[in-house]
Amino acid sequence: MIPALSLVGSLFGTPALSQALPAAAQPAGVAAAGSDFNHVFAQVGEAIDTLKSGESAAISGLQGQASVQHVVESVMSAERSLQTVVAIRDKIVSAYQSISQMAI
Amino acid sequence: MIDPIGAAIKIASSGLETQSARLRIVAENMANAQSTGPMSGADPYARKTVTFESELDQATGVDLVRIKNIGVDHTPFRIEHDPGSPAADSKGFVKLPNVNMIMEMADLREANRSYEANLQVIKQANSLSSSTIDLLRNSS
Repeated sequence: MIPALSLVGSLFGTPALSQALPAAAQPAGVAAAGSDFNHVFAQVGEAIDTLKSGESAAISGLQGQASVQHVVESVMSAERSLQTVVAIRDKIVSAYQSISQMAI
Repeated sequence: MIDPIGAAIKIASSGLETQSARLRIVAENMANAQSTGPMSGADPYARKTVTFESELDQATGVDLVRIKNIGVDHTPFRIEHDPGSPAADSKGFVKLPNVNMIMEMADLREANRSYEANLQVIKQANSLSSSTIDLLRNSS
């Protein structure tokens, strides 16, 4: 689970994804699309912080330095962030696909 | 954190931690119910008490719960006549802890129920949060 969390964190940390998606979605004709996507990806940064705190809590729990309750709370919070990020990503990708498959 | 569901989970989690600390105190009291003093005529183990207080979490602005104080019960110790015990005084009386098993059992049950209630809040909040996110996922 921990490698998976790091993987997703690094995925959203790459500039390629965060730049490619807003650029691709802008031709939709929504004027404010750029700022909206920037806002979304700024929040993705916060989500990555939550994932990291979940990981560190899990590790300190394994070392016996944190209570089970604390570990569970942090990991659950990380999981919720991850679910939100994945759902938003799916939404963005499906928007991109519906634009790219548009009949001209 | 403005997210109320996340805040609910955080609050319930602080409840879990305090109730587990309370469980620990009950365990100490029960385990030491027969512990006499270290030397002749010395005071035995005194029952520990635990009190709670609310704590304002600065980051989220919600009231969490925490242990206020772990104190000592000042009710008099039980005294038994047992001249053979190493802790007996010159007249053969031994002081035994002021732990009442029935009271500890009641406290244990209450800690257990409170812990379960907080767990239920976490489960409920988690399932609500998941189904809200699923709303975003399925409506494509």
